[in-house]
Amino acid sequence: MSKVTRREMLMGTSAMAVTTGLPWKGFELRTQTEKSKLRRGVSFYSYQEEYYKHEMTVEDGFAEVTAMGATGVQLIAEEMVPNYPNPPDEWVDNWHAMMKKYNTVPTNIDTFVDIYVGGHRKMSMDEAVETLSGQCKLANRLGFKVMRPTTGPVEEPAIEMVERALPVAEKYDVRIAPEVHAPIPLGGKYIESYLELIHKTGTKHVGLTVDCGIFCKKLPRVFLEYCARHGAQRRVIDYVASAFEGGSTHDQIVAGVQKMNPTDGDRLCAGMSGGYGPITNDPKDLKKIAPYIFNIHGKFYEMTDEMREYSIPYEEIIPVLMDIKYAYSIDSEYEGQRWIQDAVITDSFEQVRREHVMFRQLFGEI
Amino acid sequence: MYEAQMILTRGFQNVYKEGQPVGFQFLLKTAYYRGTFLDLIGAIDVSVDGKAYSREQLSIGVKGRVFTMEEAAKAEDVHWDFGTPMIVTILTPGGLKPGIHEVQVTLGVNPSYVPVGLFRATGHKRMTLVM
Repeated sequence: MSKVTRREMLMGTSAMAVTTGLPWKGFELRTQTEKSKLRRGVSFYSYQEEYYKHEMTVEDGFAEVTAMGATGVQLIAEEMVPNYPNPPDEWVDNWHAMMKKYNTVPTNIDTFVDIYVGGHRKMSMDEAVETLSGQCKLANRLGFKVMRPTTGPVEEPAIEMVERALPVAEKYDVRIAPEVHAPIPLGGKYIESYLELIHKTGTKHVGLTVDCGIFCKKLPRVFLEYCARHGAQRRVIDYVASAFEGGSTHDQIVAGVQKMNPTDGDRLCAGMSGGYGPITNDPKDLKKIAPYIFNIHGKFYEMTDEMREYSIPYEEIIPVLMDIKYAYSIDSEYEGQRWIQDAVITDSFEQVRREHVMFRQLFGEI
Repeated sequence: MYEAQMILTRGFQNVYKEGQPVGFQFLLKTAYYRGTFLDLIGAIDVSVDGKAYSREQLSIGVKGRVFTMEEAAKAEDVHWDFGTPMIVTILTPGGLKPGIHEVQVTLGVNPSYVPVGLFRATGHKRMTLVM
């Protein structure tokens, strides 16, 4: 047995005290090159299945972000914050310690104001504002400068709620960035309402989170195959896919399928197809809202062996983000697991890695 | 989502009073992608070997407290964490016989960004009860 000094023993003990340690110890820490102001990050939403199965800890997520040379950490508060919305001080201290240890930064915290309380009643506006304000406090405790609250139905802006929470957002220096999520059109009422609020109040604490699922040009293949495994007929799947690509609206697709003597699986396919696009969204239109984009959800469903997203044209989106000098983070948001986990074993880490290779290619780094 | 993973085998057992089985229980994880306060749980429909049990026979255990479904609807500050199982207890005299059972659960969760009733996940598990 070799002799170990007290110092070496203590170092060993502290390294063993964590789940993953510092794998690069003794090596240079890799960092992103500066060809682009865009930063890469990961929403831990991407790793939900491994977390759910207790195959990883939050710290493992940090280590993986660093292993990809990325810097951003995004969190769904109710997915991984213990004792939500009031995590213990010890957990919060460790959260900050991990940020430091892994050379990462908090990008965006995703929260929910469930205004319909599970359908049992509707929150009063005071209650909703209080809930949103509490989430600003949590964001501040965890060092997030941007927060994405989902404030009710996807396509309904919550102007009064956000406006009334502004003093708290300012106090805690948290910028509220509601999400432009499919099927919201760029340039519709949702975005206009928030721009009006920003202009009316002059606030610097309201902006937008943009989810790239709004740019789907095709329906995810993993979704269509899920439908096939759950009773959808091939001719109906083909109709839904080509109608989507051809620009049919969701209502038209649902009506079209209704005429095809549909099975439950066919109805599922038609119904869920409304959660992508709409196809009329053009990445170039991000230029019109450029100053207000505080975070990008790098939504994806399936990264192919060619390092491209099957449905979303990142090769059109990234150049626009570089053109507008977007200087915040694009955070991986893997959502394909829900369409494959009934058939195969999910590897979220592999999928996220592929997206980051794509990002590096499109940033011009490799 | 998580249909294949929501029902846990470990913990499946009868519950006893005065030495007699008065029901059974098992562990259930959410099938939604985040934890939720209990009021968001719209339904937990349980059947075993094709026999459906009523809402009135069911209670849930979360964070060391037990709730009927009616109480859960008002438990707006009790959070069922993502990936953490709750204990589902069904009161039925005699409980279940030792051996293999086909357990089916349909879980409804009602976040406010989609219409009530839209999110439902049904899991099945063939699992063995010892006693």
